[in-house]
Amino acid sequence: MNLAEIDIALAELANCGDPAFATAAAQVREMTKQAIAGQLSPVDLKEVLADMQRQLDIIQDMNQMAFKEKLNTIINGLITIAGVV
Amino acid sequence: MKRLVFLSLILSTLSGCALIDAYLMTKYDPNEYKIISEIRTDSNRYKTECANPLLSPVNAVGIANKTSLFQNYSENIPYNTDGFKAATSLNEIAQGLAEKYTKGETVSLAFCKIKYGSIENSATVIQHVIGNKPR
Repeated sequence: MNLAEIDIALAELANCGDPAFATAAAQVREMTKQAIAGQLSPVDLKEVLADMQRQLDIIQDMNQMAFKEKLNTIINGLITIAGVV
Repeated sequence: MKRLVFLSLILSTLSGCALIDAYLMTKYDPNEYKIISEIRTDSNRYKTECANPLLSPVNAVGIANKTSLFQNYSENIPYNTDGFKAATSLNEIAQGLAEKYTKGETVSLAFCKIKYGSIENSATVIQHVIGNKPR
């Protein structure tokens, strides 16, 4: 698969309708466009794509933490209610 | 009462670890929030200085030192596995840029801007969640 074919595949992903995938695909597409234009070397492109994966990992970890924050509020709320009842 | 029973049923479906992690999760830490806010602010400013050959190598090492500090700070906070993982990923992004400069490699303007953009976006996501930690 060459860069031009990757760009076509990303264009399809960017129009898939899922906002999270569409945003990520649009960002990756912009990067591959810069690589095709010679503004990014293949080594740099590899690095920024790895960063994209790291960013997705960060979003996943933070979603998990946000879930625990909500759970913490619920548990403490239940403990307070149990103390009152 | 119905809502209480409903909540109890939901909680009972979660694993013990998730409940313990959530219950014992570390409260809001102003130092942690300060460091991630600085990373976000610095990356936003440094992005505009990518074209400056004197400032950009210094900036890259500066942001890498700060993300390294954030990772080390997060490491030994109890029940903070997710926070430490995110801090590690953020540090990896920043170290990649600093290494390019320290190795004496040519850093393109596009690469520099994308790197700071990635750091800023990630720092914003982390800052939002850290700021919402229970007080």
